Formats: sequence, structure tokens, C-alpha cells
Amino acid sequence: MRIDWWTLGLQTINVLILVAILARFLFRPVIAIMDERRAAAAKMLGDAEAERAKAIAAREAAEAESGKIAASRDAVLREAAEAASAEREAALATAREEADQVRASAETEMRWARAAEESAASDRSARLAIDVARKLVARLPDSARVDGFIDGLARALASLPEASRDGFGAGERARLIAPRPLTAAELQAAHDAFARALGRPVDFAVVVEPAVIAGLEIETPHAVVRNSFRQDLKRIVEELTRHDGVHR
Amino acid sequence: MKSPLSLEPLFHVGPAGITEPVVVSWAVIALLGLGSTLATRRLSVIPSKGQTLLELVVSTVDSQIRETMQADPAPFRALIGSIFLFTLVSNWSSLIPGIEPATAHIETDAAMALIVFVATIAWGVRTRGLRGYLATYAEPTWVMIPLNIVEQFTRTFSLIVRLFGNVMSGVFIIGIILTLAGLLVPIPLMALDLLTGAVQAYIFAVLATVFIGAAVGERHKPVAPSEKEP
Repeated sequence: MRIDWWTLGLQTINVLILVAILARFLFRPVIAIMDERRAAAAKMLGDAEAERAKAIAAREAAEAESGKIAASRDAVLREAAEAASAEREAALATAREEADQVRASAETEMRWARAAEESAASDRSARLAIDVARKLVARLPDSARVDGFIDGLARALASLPEASRDGFGAGERARLIAPRPLTAAELQAAHDAFARALGRPVDFAVVVEPAVIAGLEIETPHAVVRNSFRQDLKRIVEELTRHDGVHR
Repeated sequence: MKSPLSLEPLFHVGPAGITEPVVVSWAVIALLGLGSTLATRRLSVIPSKGQTLLELVVSTVDSQIRETMQADPAPFRALIGSIFLFTLVSNWSSLIPGIEPATAHIETDAAMALIVFVATIAWGVRTRGLRGYLATYAEPTWVMIPLNIVEQFTRTFSLIVRLFGNVMSGVFIIGIILTLAGLLVPIPLMALDLLTGAVQAYIFAVLATVFIGAAVGERHKPVAPSEKEP
């Protein structure tokens, strides 16, 4: 066996050439494309990571916005609830106030009605009392309906203020109102009693008014002096009516 | 009788006699070069089946270099990968009737071993510096210097002889059986030859990687992901 040195040298060159060829046409392009793919994958991963980060950021923003919306909704609901509560309270207060007013009005109405009823009852009672009194007086003798009242009327004239007493019946004729026509004795008694009370004679004309019931009333254009059941009953009625008015 | 190991020039180019292994090597080079050119003509980011196979080969070469040398495979890829592919295709060229593999001749194996030898020294000196590289011969002690020097040649010789012996023996056995038995009898042996050829190509490439890696030492050691600074 012997070594062929030419072959050895040529094979060495061949192998070196093959190394150069494969380095140029096989390994370099393949490695380049692999690197390119790796870079593309890395870029895609980077992009995906960036997109993921964006998505996470967007999700967080959406969550924050959702939280804000929820908070805003809660605030609006709270405000609405508060407003509704305030309106309800106001409505209740108004209703209560109106109810109080209505109740007060009703109570007032009821009071008025009761008072009116009581007044009417009082009026009826007063009129009934007057009727009773009138009927009772009607049973008295006619003399009793005038006699006892002449002196009383004279005392009333005497108790007038001096100015009134001096001017009473001085310029004009007085009217003596009686429940029935007076007898001559009664007329005389009246003249006498009035003259004593005023210190001078008084000219009067007798006017009959059965409504007087009993007693006498004397009047001039400027003054009236009454001493009669009509006057008394009228005063009683007025007193009762006034009393009811105070109650109202 | 003519020795089957002897080489006769097929023709001469000047003073150089062009023998059959040289011609076969040219054919292999042409095949690999043309195939590479065609295969890498339309590479795309989304690979085809052929491109995937191509990338698988390159990735396997890279991973073997990385695992063996614990270093970045880029500077050594072309040499180791080319030696592997050349050896593999040359070994498998025996399947073509009438073709004798270039690696069945010691000149071809010696040429590749010579390149590995020179590359080992060159990368060792380049990486460690001349003194640093020479200092590796005194490891673990200076007593080992003669043995390390002898080892440098013997391992290269063993590289040559291992490949040459395995391929040449396979070719011889198939030739002998062909002369003794029928046409189809050697087929199982040829299939076995395929396996042997692939294994021998792998062993040659891995041993070349180991030799270069030993010369380069740990300076090319890449930083593992787990060792990176946090």
C-alpha cells in the first residue's frame, strides 16, 4: 500500500472547496432563514406581548371606566334615592300639613256648625222662653202689664245724664209706647211720674204696640228709654247671642 | 496481481494524476453544491418539507457541535457539517454500481483528517494564543508533554484508519460476496453498509468536533440561560 500524494493533496483541496461551497450555498442561507424566522417569531411574540399589554391596559381601563360608571350609577341612585326620600318627606309633610289644615278646617267647620247649632238652639230656647214669657204675661191682668212699669220708666228717666234728661222731650213731642191703650189714671200717673223724674212735665202721645208685651217705652227723636218685657227679652236674646258669639 | 488499495490515475492534468477518488469527490462536491444551491434557492420563513429537512440537518449539526463543544456552533458549522455531509455521501456512494467511495481510499480520509488536524491547531492557537495552546500539552503535568504530542498524531491517525478501515472493509466484503454469490445476495450487506457509512460519518464528525473543542477549551463556552445574570 502506498499513499498517492497527488490524490491526498487534491482531496484536501476538494474538501476545502466543499467546505467553502456548503458554507456559502447551504449553511449560510439556511441559518439566515432560521434566524429570520426566529426574529420574525420574536417580533411576533413581541407584538403579541405588546398587544397583550395593550389588551390588558384596555381591559384595566374598561374596568376602571366600569368602576367609574358603577360609582356614578351608585351616586346617581343615591342622589335619586335621597331626592325621592326628600320629595317623599316633603310630600308627606305637605300632605300632613294639608291634612292638618283639612282637619283644622273640618274641626273649625265642626266647631262653627256646633256653635251655629248651639246658637240656633239658644235662639230657639230664647224664643221659646220669650214665647213662654209672653204667654205667661198674657195671663196676667191688663193693669199688671202697665202699672208696675210707670215708676220703673220714671226711674230710668231720672237716671239719664243731666244733658239728656234736660233735653228729653223738650223740643218735640215724645211717644209713649204701651202694650195696650192706657187708662186715664195710668196716663195721669205717667205724667206725674215723668214730671217728677225730669223736674218738668213731659208731653207725649201714646202709641199702642202689643209687641211690647208688658211695660212702657218712651222715645224722642234723640233718645229712647225702655222699661218693657220686649226690651228685657230683647236684651236677654242679645245677651244669649253675644254669649254664643264669644264661644265662636 | 494489482492491489485493490492501489490507485491508478484515470487521466493526468499536468503532472497531477487524477484518480478515481478525486473524480468521485468532484461528483460528490458537484452533487452537494448543486443540491444546496437548488435547495436553498427558494427558502421562506414558512418552510416547505424539503426546507424543513434541510433545516433539520443544519440544526442537528449545530446541536451536536453545541453539545460536544459547549460552544457557539457558528464558527465550526461549515467545517464539521461539510465533513459530515461529504463523508456520508461518499460512504453511501458505494450503493451506485461501479462507484467506489472516495472514503474507501486512505488519501481522502487522510485529507479530511489533515484538515481537522490543522483546524484543531489553528483554532487552538487562535483561541488560547500560541503559549496558551502549547501549554495545553503540559496538562495535567509537564510529564505528559511527550504523550500529548504523540496523542495529537495518533488520534489523527486513528481518525483516518477508523474511517478508512470501516468503509474499505465494507466495499471489499461486498465485492468478495458479489464474486462468490448472486446478484441480490449482497443487498443486506449493502443495507448494513448504509448504516455503517452513516455511523462512520457521524463518528468522524463528532471526533473532529471533540478534537477542535478540546483545543479551543472553555473560552468559547457559551453562557447557559441558567447561568445568566438575573
